[in-house]
Amino acid sequence: MAEQLLDQVRDVAEGQIDFEGQKLVELLVNVTLALTGVVSFLVGYILQDIKLALQIGLAGTALTFILVVPPWPFYNRNPVKWLQVGGGLVPPQSLIVDEKSFR
Amino acid sequence: MYTSVVRLQNVFGFFTTVAFVVAAFIAASDFLTERAPIVRTLKTTSVQVVRGRPHYYSSKKEEYAVINFSLDADLSSLFTWNTKQVFVYVTAEWPAADHAKTNATNEAVIWDTIITSPSADHLANIGPVAMKKLRKSAGGKSIDPNRGKLSLKNQRHKYKITHPSGKLAMTDNVTLRLHYNVQPWVGLLTWDQDVDYGYWKALKNGVSKRFKLPAIKEKKPASAGAR
Repeated sequence: MAEQLLDQVRDVAEGQIDFEGQKLVELLVNVTLALTGVVSFLVGYILQDIKLALQIGLAGTALTFILVVPPWPFYNRNPVKWLQVGGGLVPPQSLIVDEKSFR
Repeated sequence: MYTSVVRLQNVFGFFTTVAFVVAAFIAASDFLTERAPIVRTLKTTSVQVVRGRPHYYSSKKEEYAVINFSLDADLSSLFTWNTKQVFVYVTAEWPAADHAKTNATNEAVIWDTIITSPSADHLANIGPVAMKKLRKSAGGKSIDPNRGKLSLKNQRHKYKITHPSGKLAMTDNVTLRLHYNVQPWVGLLTWDQDVDYGYWKALKNGVSKRFKLPAIKEKKPASAGAR
């Protein structure tokens, strides 16, 4: 019982996401942070207000953290399908490793 | 990017890069803004040389120049979105005794002031009432070029000046010169320039006419007689 609970706590704390999710996160971080930087500079320069530029920059960064750090469900839409332990499934017809095929 | 901690580190890492680049752009934006500071009037209104001591218990007597002046200057173009504060100071300058040999110049500050940009008002070292007044003077604007307009009439000196030799009376070819130091939020400190650099024009008319310091002010006979 306690072990199960600890497992759950660990899952939440680690916040693992699947491979597709990681690809999406990478893209989101790069796009949102770069955009935040561009917008904060342009708005600050046009309105001649450096405080506003700082606020936009920090707000955009905070949003990025919220968007990206927690393991939101949409980062776990493509879980990896592992083979069953003990070979429950038929092995694939042609498995090629280092140009040698295994059967 | 597999776990939360890794994502946290990645986002923060890229954030520092973005912050650095934006800061570099802000600093560079200064070079695209025109600076054309100009001094309309800079002249002495009263000049005295008095004898005094550097501090109360000193037995050394030195000569001090007491220079009051009038200044009318427009430094408003120094105030941009990246200006934190501008330090303005007036120096008295005169050639050293061995000027012909060394080309050395004596230079001493007689007055200075800090002009904050509205974005830096909260940093000003003043009391609550003055602070309220200062904030109100900006009228909610993020930059206030009016702060760069200086109009001082018969301004009292802030610092009496002397010389390591202790001798100042009758010094000739003294000039007053206005200096400024722009302190930006991001970027390099810049001082007043003698030549134009791109959009930054040299400070115009920043030197006063040459004048001669007078002889030491004589004590009145009455006070001289009394011991």
